[in-house]
Amino acid sequence: MINIILFRMEFRRNVRSLVLWSVIICALIFFTMSLFRSVLQYQQQIMGMMKIVPMAAMKARGFGNITDIFSGLGFYAANNIVYMMLLGSIYSMVLSSNILLKEEYLKTAEYLMSRPISRDEIFASKLAVALLNIVILNLVAGITGFISLIVFRSGDVVIRPFLIITMYTFLLNLFFGALGVIVAVMIRRPRPVTFFCVGLVLVFYFIFTISRISGVSGEFGYVSPFKWVNMDVLKSDFSFEFWRIALFLGLALLLSGLSLMIYRKKDILT
Amino acid sequence: MSSNIIEISNLSKYYGRSRGIEDVSLNVGQGEFFGFIGPNGAGKSTTIRILLNLIFPSSGSARIFGLDVLRDSKKIRGRLGYVPSDANLYDKMKVREFLSFGAAFYGRNKSEDRIQELAGILDLNLERRITDLSTGNKKKVNIIQALVHRPELLILDEPTSGLDPLIQSKLFGLLTEENKRGTTVFFSSHILSEVQALCRRVAIVKEGRIVKSDEIAVLREKQLKKVRVLFTDTGTGLQHDFKIPGMESFHRESQRSIVFMFSGDINELVHCLSGRSIENLSIEEPPLEEIFLHYYQ
Repeated sequence: MINIILFRMEFRRNVRSLVLWSVIICALIFFTMSLFRSVLQYQQQIMGMMKIVPMAAMKARGFGNITDIFSGLGFYAANNIVYMMLLGSIYSMVLSSNILLKEEYLKTAEYLMSRPISRDEIFASKLAVALLNIVILNLVAGITGFISLIVFRSGDVVIRPFLIITMYTFLLNLFFGALGVIVAVMIRRPRPVTFFCVGLVLVFYFIFTISRISGVSGEFGYVSPFKWVNMDVLKSDFSFEFWRIALFLGLALLLSGLSLMIYRKKDILT
Repeated sequence: MSSNIIEISNLSKYYGRSRGIEDVSLNVGQGEFFGFIGPNGAGKSTTIRILLNLIFPSSGSARIFGLDVLRDSKKIRGRLGYVPSDANLYDKMKVREFLSFGAAFYGRNKSEDRIQELAGILDLNLERRITDLSTGNKKKVNIIQALVHRPELLILDEPTSGLDPLIQSKLFGLLTEENKRGTTVFFSSHILSEVQALCRRVAIVKEGRIVKSDEIAVLREKQLKKVRVLFTDTGTGLQHDFKIPGMESFHRESQRSIVFMFSGDINELVHCLSGRSIENLSIEEPPLEEIFLHYYQ
């Protein structure tokens, strides 16, 4: 199903962007985690400041409780929301939408699709590259996060909740990747959709943040996929929840399947 | 009688409410050099894009090598070469890398000699990046990528646009050579002289429909005649008393002189003119340009 010639070319085409995003995200993770020691050092002053900083601002920044900031894992998880959940999702959606659509708006589709390669093979090869890039970004960011936790830790690093939040982050990125693919195949007149993808992820993130600040945990917040992730990493019952994994994987598969069906019948207009 | 390589039956394509092509039917035989001519926007590229399964027909069907263009698209594309009218290439690649990449899809990893040969004929530098190439040189890359795997059928959509006359002539030589070797050529263009120089048979497309399909020689010699009549006085040559079946594109040059295209029975024309006072009469084969203009208008 995957055409290795196209897969190799497509991977090479995207490798520079992958390296750039990985370096930026890893640098942000490592730099932010390096501040953790200072946070611990000035714990009293920070606690004092917290009395005047609204809790809403803390929640908007990803902290569930005031004390989360003084836990290595809590500190990491709050930053992970911005760096990997938000930025990683933007990367995933932009990558997977453009990987298909750019052939059309850059007018190379006519060349590619006159080769002896089926639409299924083009779709599978390009999605495989997108998936591999998302996996690599998550792996690199996860390893950087783990190393920075060890380097700047204040106590023992608990591996299990770290792995769980890393897995959820990957699943969220995967979902946005699949959303990008369906956006790409539904565009009739090909044009870049980068701004639309960035905007859509930000809107979902905004909805999630609002629901966190206002404490609304009902239907409204669940409009956003960010809300489907369990972010209470410091709670004792924090664990792999099958329904969340099934939800993300199921939706990603469903969106990809639907996208393939549309792509098979799509008029390639350039 | 040669078997057909391309068979198009009642093919139509609409983009929403606007017309792409309507009820197009034509056959191209094995080894033919077939011209597909029409003005811009007539539907030539739409027809070709359906043949390549880039777009889907609204109705009708098409077969290439006896295979359905929708169901067996991959198999068909393995045996043809296509030069698009306006397609970009992967800009960041070098020409040689791009051509080897394209050839690899056909299982031709050792296509280096052929690439070198074609680049030599068309005078193309293989070491330059595609992004640095002029429009004409990009066209050359497109032509080479279509020829490198020695296809059984070549589909060319405005292949000469952007090429200088010298390279155009080299391209015509290449195509003629490929055709002699047995390759069927489907040549789409809006430039009459190209089609006239290369093709034996032609289909004329106008507003999405095929208005005429025949051998060029037949179009020129047997059917349309250009008739010019100079009457001795002004009263006998008016159109209202001079109507014969097959008379088209009537034009009064002066008060005594008329010109028209005639595709009817020549005996009927002579009979009709015999009762009138004529100073001069000419019946000639019109230039090919006029035949095409006649169908375009």
